[in-house]
Amino acid sequence: MSSEKHNTSKQTPQPDWRLEIDKYWKQVSEKTGDFFNDHKSMFSAGKVASAVGGTLAVVWLASGFYIVDQGNRGVVTRFGAYSETTMPGPNWHIPVPFENVAIVNVEQQRFIEVGYIDSSRINKSSLIPQESLMLTADENIIAVRLAVQYQINNARDYLFNVKNNENTLKQLTESVERAVIGRNSMDFVLTEGRSQIVAEIKEQIQAGMDEYKTGISIASVNLQDAQPPEEVQGAFEDAIRAREDKQRLINEAEAYANEVIPKARGAASRIIQEAEAYEAEKIAKAKGETERFDQLLVEYEKSPAITRKRLYLEAKEKLYSSTNKVMLEADQTNPMLYMPMPQTFQQHGSSPAASNDAEPTVEPHNADKNGMRKTSGNELRPSRSKQ
Amino acid sequence: MSSRTQILIPAGLSLLVLGYMSVFYVKEHEKAILFRLGEMVESDYKPGLHFKAPIINNVSTFDARVLTLDAKSERFLTSEKKNVIVDSFAKWRIGDVGLFYTTVGGDEFQANLRLDQIMKDAMRSEFGVRTIKQLISEDRNELRETLLAKLSPTAQKFGIELIDIRIKRIDLPQEVSSSVFQRMRAERERVAREFRSQGAESAEQISAEADKQKHVIVANAQRDAENIRGRGDAQSAEIYAKSFGKNPEFYAFYRSLQAYQTSFEKTQDTLVLKPNSDFFKYFSSEK
Repeated sequence: MSSEKHNTSKQTPQPDWRLEIDKYWKQVSEKTGDFFNDHKSMFSAGKVASAVGGTLAVVWLASGFYIVDQGNRGVVTRFGAYSETTMPGPNWHIPVPFENVAIVNVEQQRFIEVGYIDSSRINKSSLIPQESLMLTADENIIAVRLAVQYQINNARDYLFNVKNNENTLKQLTESVERAVIGRNSMDFVLTEGRSQIVAEIKEQIQAGMDEYKTGISIASVNLQDAQPPEEVQGAFEDAIRAREDKQRLINEAEAYANEVIPKARGAASRIIQEAEAYEAEKIAKAKGETERFDQLLVEYEKSPAITRKRLYLEAKEKLYSSTNKVMLEADQTNPMLYMPMPQTFQQHGSSPAASNDAEPTVEPHNADKNGMRKTSGNELRPSRSKQ
Repeated sequence: MSSRTQILIPAGLSLLVLGYMSVFYVKEHEKAILFRLGEMVESDYKPGLHFKAPIINNVSTFDARVLTLDAKSERFLTSEKKNVIVDSFAKWRIGDVGLFYTTVGGDEFQANLRLDQIMKDAMRSEFGVRTIKQLISEDRNELRETLLAKLSPTAQKFGIELIDIRIKRIDLPQEVSSSVFQRMRAERERVAREFRSQGAESAEQISAEADKQKHVIVANAQRDAENIRGRGDAQSAEIYAKSFGKNPEFYAFYRSLQAYQTSFEKTQDTLVLKPNSDFFKYFSSEK
């Protein structure tokens, strides 16, 4: 007894607890003796015995009542052997030592994790390389994290058939996932094969658990993560980036195309419009000029001589009023005439009469007053306005 | 208390004790062996209540559930003489409890040790005739069945019923893993390069196509524009010809006058005139 050790180890001896109990017991027995002695008429020894026995029997029988909560099952064993499985609600079994009951929750979703440990405290899951790294069919290595959700569907099997069901499930999961992933290529596992692989793993785990008769049914297998191992993460990420780069380059080229082609259409439309403007202008001008001429012609034909004279004089008048003139009253001797020609040409920096930007076509009067002059290329610019 | 009860109570009590000593339970998940003074007499018990003689009989119980041998990682050589690290486990239960008791002392741990040895031996020979690829992707199920068939008779000698043998991990040793990683990296780099060059190729195609279209569109527009201008020129020429053709002589006169004016309209133009022209007819003398 620990208290005895206590006493021996202590330096100061304490009153022995057995003496204390003796004292107490004496007191109790005296009191009960008094009680029985006082009521001797009521109690005979047999009556007392049967009353006590009856009470004990009732208590003992009552101890067989138990309540199975919703979602649980009670598994009753008689002398250790299975007798029945009881449903939720109040139940009774023949009390200990004849029958025993074990309550098993059959609806609770439980889960195991393979390849990692999720610690909710720091909200971070850490990989376990030994569990998570595995080889694929094309001899690549990938890291897989798997969570298996399960529930107990047969309480009797769960209790009696396998020692340590959870460990069994974990071992089986490790074996099955490696078998399945080992049959598939890395690319398949990492991309389109995920759901197929998960289904296959689930099916095989269930088959194994059924074979061992664990009484467990697999609700779902979640492939938390399947990725290349850390050592090659960088290269994989770069490959993913490269795929995005490819898309980006194509998108940029398409953006360029989407910019260039409409602009070209715009330019084309401008070219056409300008040509149409030119056409309209030419026709309008021709019409204008010819109408003017036609009207004048009508008048001219009425009195040609005088109209002719008038036009001639007006033209000369206009001409002479705006130019420098040198009048020579020369006779036939024709003396030498000196004129400072270059000076006059240099005055405005403009070329002499034979200018080199003359129109290739014969332009009618005032063609360049507010019109456009064609130059090299397709660019149109207003011609120089006159001083 | 009467003398009757004084006798009854101890007698009842001793009966109870005697009764208690002459029964035993076998639980649902157990197997039991009955010994008579150390000698095994009975080992085939269903779960439930059984009787025995007090004192001379005693009973040992054993776990009848499926038990696990979780074998430690072990290196095996494959047929290519490459090392692989293998984790495996076996599931077994006590088949013949008497045999189990006599051969391994009824001890789960002892049984696992023996099982581990024979399993490792069998695996060594099976691994030796297979390539890594076969082990990883092809032969798992077949290997499982082969090992089970091979080991079951041996295990039965220990009173063990083998239920399952499964390979968990087949991994390459560290030094080989790193070369696998290098290969994976190289492979990814190849893929990355391919993606990027494909991207460049497509981009080049698209932008070249766009440039071509741009030039075609503009050129076509210019072609049409020239056509339109020509139409304008032609129509205006027609209009002029129609009108001026009514009186070519007057047109020549009229147009010449206009031309003179426009060609000599700048002040820096200098005209050298003779006074005897038609215009100056009245300039020098009135006639």
